[in-house]
Amino acid sequence: MTTTLTVAVAVLWLVVGVLVVAVFALARQVGVLYERVAPMGALMMDEGPKVGEVAPVFNLTTLSGARLALGAAGAFSTLIFFLSPTCPVCNKLLPVLRLTARDEADWLRVVLASDGEESAQRAFYAKNSLSEFPYVLSAELGLAYKVSKLPFAVLLDEAGRVRAKGLINSREQLESLFTAKDLGVESIQQFLQKA
Amino acid sequence: MTTDFVIVRMAAAALAVVFAVGAWHKVRDLAAFEGVVTAYDLVPPVAAVWVAWSIPVAEIFAALCLVGDSSRTLGAYVGGGLLVFVTGAIVLNLWRGRRAIDCGCGGIEDEVHLSWALVARNAVLGAACLALLDPASGRDMGWLDYLTVGVGAGCMYGLYATFNQMLANAPRLARLRGAA
Repeated sequence: MTTTLTVAVAVLWLVVGVLVVAVFALARQVGVLYERVAPMGALMMDEGPKVGEVAPVFNLTTLSGARLALGAAGAFSTLIFFLSPTCPVCNKLLPVLRLTARDEADWLRVVLASDGEESAQRAFYAKNSLSEFPYVLSAELGLAYKVSKLPFAVLLDEAGRVRAKGLINSREQLESLFTAKDLGVESIQQFLQKA
Repeated sequence: MTTDFVIVRMAAAALAVVFAVGAWHKVRDLAAFEGVVTAYDLVPPVAAVWVAWSIPVAEIFAALCLVGDSSRTLGAYVGGGLLVFVTGAIVLNLWRGRRAIDCGCGGIEDEVHLSWALVARNAVLGAACLALLDPASGRDMGWLDYLTVGVGAGCMYGLYATFNQMLANAPRLARLRGAA
């Protein structure tokens, strides 16, 4: 009897162990699947100035003290990147932004936008040496573009029109804004739906 | 009431793995964890670096204590205290409505955002710590007991990891539902 129980328990443990591994593997696969079937490119929220509309012009002062007419027509396109010192994903994307600003310097200017307590912003600005970017603090700017989630980016063309915008979590999503501008579509999601 | 020795050892080993893996993930990317502590917005930024250090240190201490028979009670107190501390921080931020911050739990690559499910998970871990405070009945351990302790602890950790993975999956599913 004891032998029977011993063998039974040992076999059961083996089976339970394998099952737990299998359940975990399945949960991981479900996670990967959710990510793969998620909308490609930067998720766009249908609020704020629509793609194609002329962006509102904001006269702002950057943290370094320079004047900036954000949204005004000019020689370059503008990427407004909304971030916050307390958002880990924003921090993660800073090196990507630096690279992008360098690689696309011939047609694009990157502007960082945030709002909130100025001392915390200045500490964040100094800690990450963001002086290469114009950094503006404006609650009105965020409200105008109806930014509800961070990091959020808006791409304006030379004429000051909104060309693409969306929630950005990765380099690919950032680049999808440029692709959307090149293709002349509102978002990569819309392009894929048309195709 | 005494709990059977095997159950106590199994629970202690599972908790030790949970704490040790948690500490490893925090130490591996301490700068990111410091960012998480700052995002919780409960301690002044200068103290964040100390908190970011002391949490994994306490976790390693608890894990080591939980492994030894004589130090198990101490490990249960340290681990339980740590759980109360971090769960309190989560509950405070949930009340403030700040859900969209990374929980800093580690263990999986994806972000797990704050939710009441996380609080429930920590409550189960805390209950396990409490259960270790009961005196355990001693008896001779046979090979089957060792198998139970080893595989049982592994299975408990596996279930914990699965729960974490499902927590990470939940917002993705919500996004898909919203996009459809």
